[in-house]
Amino acid sequence: MFDFKEYLRLDMFPHMLCPGCGHGIVLGAMLRAIHSLGLSKDEVMVVSGIGCSSRLSGYVDFNTLHTTHGRPLAFATGIKLARPELKVIVITGDGDALSIGGNHLIHAARRNLAMTCLLLNNEIYGMTGGQSAPTTTPGKISTTSPKGQTERAFDSCRLAEAAGATFVARGITYEPAAVERLIAAALQHNGFSFVEILSDCPEFFGRFNRVGSPSDMLFTQKQNTLDAKAAAALPPERRKGKLLTGILHQDSAPEYLATLDQNFAGAVRPDMRE
Amino acid sequence: MATSTANSIELLAGNTACAKAAIAAGCRFFAGYPISPSSEIAEKLARLLPEVGGRFIQMEDEIASLAAVIGASLAGKKAMTATSGPGFSLMQEHIGYAAYAEVPCVIVDVMRGGPSTGLPTSPSQGDVMQARWGTHGDHPSIALAPASPKEFYELTVRAFNLAERLRTPVTLLCDEVVAHMYEKVDMAALAKLPIENRKKPTGAPGRHLAYAPGEDGVPVMAPFGDGYRYHVTGLAHDERGYPTQNPAVIAATQRRLHDKIEWQRRDIVQFETVDCNDAEVVVFAYGIVSAAARQALRLARAQGIRAGLFRAITLWPSPTEEIAALAEQVDRIVVAEMNLGQMLGEVQRAAGNAKRIDTCLKADGETITPEEILAVLKAGRETHV
Amino acid sequence: MENGQVQNVLIVGVGGQGVLTASDILATVCLASGYDVKKSEVHGMAKRGGVVYTHVRYGRKVLSPLIEPGEGDVLLAFEPAEALRWSKYLKPGGTLITNLRQRVPPASCLDRRPQAAVRYPQEIQRSLRQQLGDVRVLDAESLAMELGNPRVSNTVLLGVLSNVCEFSTEDWTSAIERSVKPQAREINRRAFLAGRNMQFPAAEEEPAAAPAQEAAASLAIADIEIRETWCKGCEICVVVCPQNCLKMNDAKKAVVADASSCIRCMLCEWLCPDLAVNVH
Repeated sequence: MFDFKEYLRLDMFPHMLCPGCGHGIVLGAMLRAIHSLGLSKDEVMVVSGIGCSSRLSGYVDFNTLHTTHGRPLAFATGIKLARPELKVIVITGDGDALSIGGNHLIHAARRNLAMTCLLLNNEIYGMTGGQSAPTTTPGKISTTSPKGQTERAFDSCRLAEAAGATFVARGITYEPAAVERLIAAALQHNGFSFVEILSDCPEFFGRFNRVGSPSDMLFTQKQNTLDAKAAAALPPERRKGKLLTGILHQDSAPEYLATLDQNFAGAVRPDMRE
Repeated sequence: MATSTANSIELLAGNTACAKAAIAAGCRFFAGYPISPSSEIAEKLARLLPEVGGRFIQMEDEIASLAAVIGASLAGKKAMTATSGPGFSLMQEHIGYAAYAEVPCVIVDVMRGGPSTGLPTSPSQGDVMQARWGTHGDHPSIALAPASPKEFYELTVRAFNLAERLRTPVTLLCDEVVAHMYEKVDMAALAKLPIENRKKPTGAPGRHLAYAPGEDGVPVMAPFGDGYRYHVTGLAHDERGYPTQNPAVIAATQRRLHDKIEWQRRDIVQFETVDCNDAEVVVFAYGIVSAAARQALRLARAQGIRAGLFRAITLWPSPTEEIAALAEQVDRIVVAEMNLGQMLGEVQRAAGNAKRIDTCLKADGETITPEEILAVLKAGRETHV
Repeated sequence: MENGQVQNVLIVGVGGQGVLTASDILATVCLASGYDVKKSEVHGMAKRGGVVYTHVRYGRKVLSPLIEPGEGDVLLAFEPAEALRWSKYLKPGGTLITNLRQRVPPASCLDRRPQAAVRYPQEIQRSLRQQLGDVRVLDAESLAMELGNPRVSNTVLLGVLSNVCEFSTEDWTSAIERSVKPQAREINRRAFLAGRNMQFPAAEEEPAAAPAQEAAASLAIADIEIRETWCKGCEICVVVCPQNCLKMNDAKKAVVADASSCIRCMLCEWLCPDLAVNVH
């Protein structure tokens, strides 16, 4: 029987996120995914950067590391290499992973070390009060794009795939059960797995862009996205402007540690063998 | 017990000595990014670490390198990185993180001429103040400066010992000359160096307070994955590791971070004095400059100048008490360093305004020569070379 | 105020209550009335329930922007626990104006030990009255609701403040009008006057404290458990429930309306951003 309270640091609640913030929905889905795989709390390692989404690491009763802005994947890389038996989950935001931490994301994807990166994309910098992010779509209002965003936005899934991620998926908080399944699949993947989850920021993005209540924003997600499998059967005009959800890419390129250990097989000195 | 044999004698370069010492000290993780003149340390460890069951990784930049080192350390491994000035600059945020989250790690900075890309890869001692104050916020700092390949070996072991004992980042400030200098070293003698390992918690996981200090001010560190689930953050935190904004808790932690170093200051601060007993003038130097100073001493004494040498081995915490004591005995101090006056400020502060301090400073990519120091000893007046 | 004197006004509350707007308006009034003014604010984590406070100092010439403890002439608190927290900043004989509507900021008022109840200061008024002389308490939200919009409660509080910081009604209302949208001017004008016309001390009977949330603990009705202290009132669960099992209460918290029709679709639990809902 799943009770998410077993996985929470109850003394840290209520959490610090704003009313209607989608990140809590992702947190719930992540806990259900971990529970569904039967992982013990001791073997789960959650690493996060800086930002609203990255605060989630403080609320869960696992091994948790709240790092610096943009760098959680680099910290996680060290942990995974030092302790491969840990299931390493990186929780990051769009600013954290795609702006200041963009370099680490592409190299983690290229390296293909087995860990799971959950990118919670709310199209804005929430913690600092609503500035534009590399995911803020053109025309959208933020405190630093008062007349609408000038720059184009990253499609983080295409970026991750191009950089070599061997598992790429996208979910929306409107579909929490699907997010749970995607995270579970990502955790089972032997290689670098990347899941972007569209997660609303009603407090800043929602208010600035007048897109309605938290529940209105959830419904809008559904209108702006298409299931990748369903989309394949649709004519191009009906797919136009829609982001695809579901597992978008998966391949079985060799995992980093497996390759490393293979390359150095027999290198360990006799006196150093455990 | 290892003894000196023909086989135990090696001709060792500074950077190789550092890599070998790291393995001997128990280092099992290295993450780094290529940069001259430190790259040989990474290259050596890429081969040596797998032999001892450790792991080496070349990261995408120096920021990621120190991040990975901190991650590996939190997961229970002794870990290090090596870099030079520009990379050391990039690492500063994570040095602060390691100081505040109390993660043991060793950072080797093989100094080259700066600022910026500067002088790849001419010798310099320009990163001394950066090693003290490079990262933002108040934090203690430990930095050691070897003067020879053998000492680079010894201080690498010592850096790991201090890092693990005090749960703090330790910087090895090596100048390019020492890093690339070869010297005859008896490895058997070096194998006898004591190795310290971090304490692990013994109590039940449920009661473990991640940041409750022991009597020495150092909290016992549980590696991630050993069943002690807890939170680590670079935010101000309480004894559980949870973020806090309580001024009393924050003040106590700030105090403790300094105290844990300060309480062991006498052990941490190492220095060497040469011919100081009857000295009228003493040269203050560290790293490779101290080798030039030794020669200058001989030349000066041959000309009737009673010169001595104070060689700082530990730069941070700075040996202010020891300099102050020495200043009482001598007429004059000559500060010789390959920068425009970084430890100079510490010497001035320690010796007081009344003491005459001359300088032999140089930041042009060339080493300071014995003759240049001798000239200052003789002239007795400030000489900027 | 005599020549050369500086008036110290401290405005405090929690994120989202309009503390910064109120202090902007006060500063505008001061400037319009020919005073020098300095204002300093702290609001980093405000949107996430953190404490917000501003120091407003005005007079013929103001040098320092900060008010020291024991220097404040007026403390305007949008939240009663904040009134208590900041009361030491008032000078003897200073004036405290406090709203009674409680907001529990997650970061500051929780006992963070497991299973602990929310520790919200009780008997705020009594302890304040013992400490201070001139205490003016009101339930600004109720007054604002009567006027038609709870969001003008900060303007009601400015109305009360206007009797202590003596500027002309015209200066006040024109500053308020400049800070709000045209369509909101009328209601804000009325809110200001409602506050300005309040008499203190009020009748013997003080208004009862108006708690935003009851004690702590979880409220379990049938199968749906909603932890009231965790709920931030986003209303998602109420909107997505296909059976209309849930509703919002007057304190803007989700509560169970009728659990008997629950079909265990789990949407309320899975979509609650606050992890406040369990369907057992």
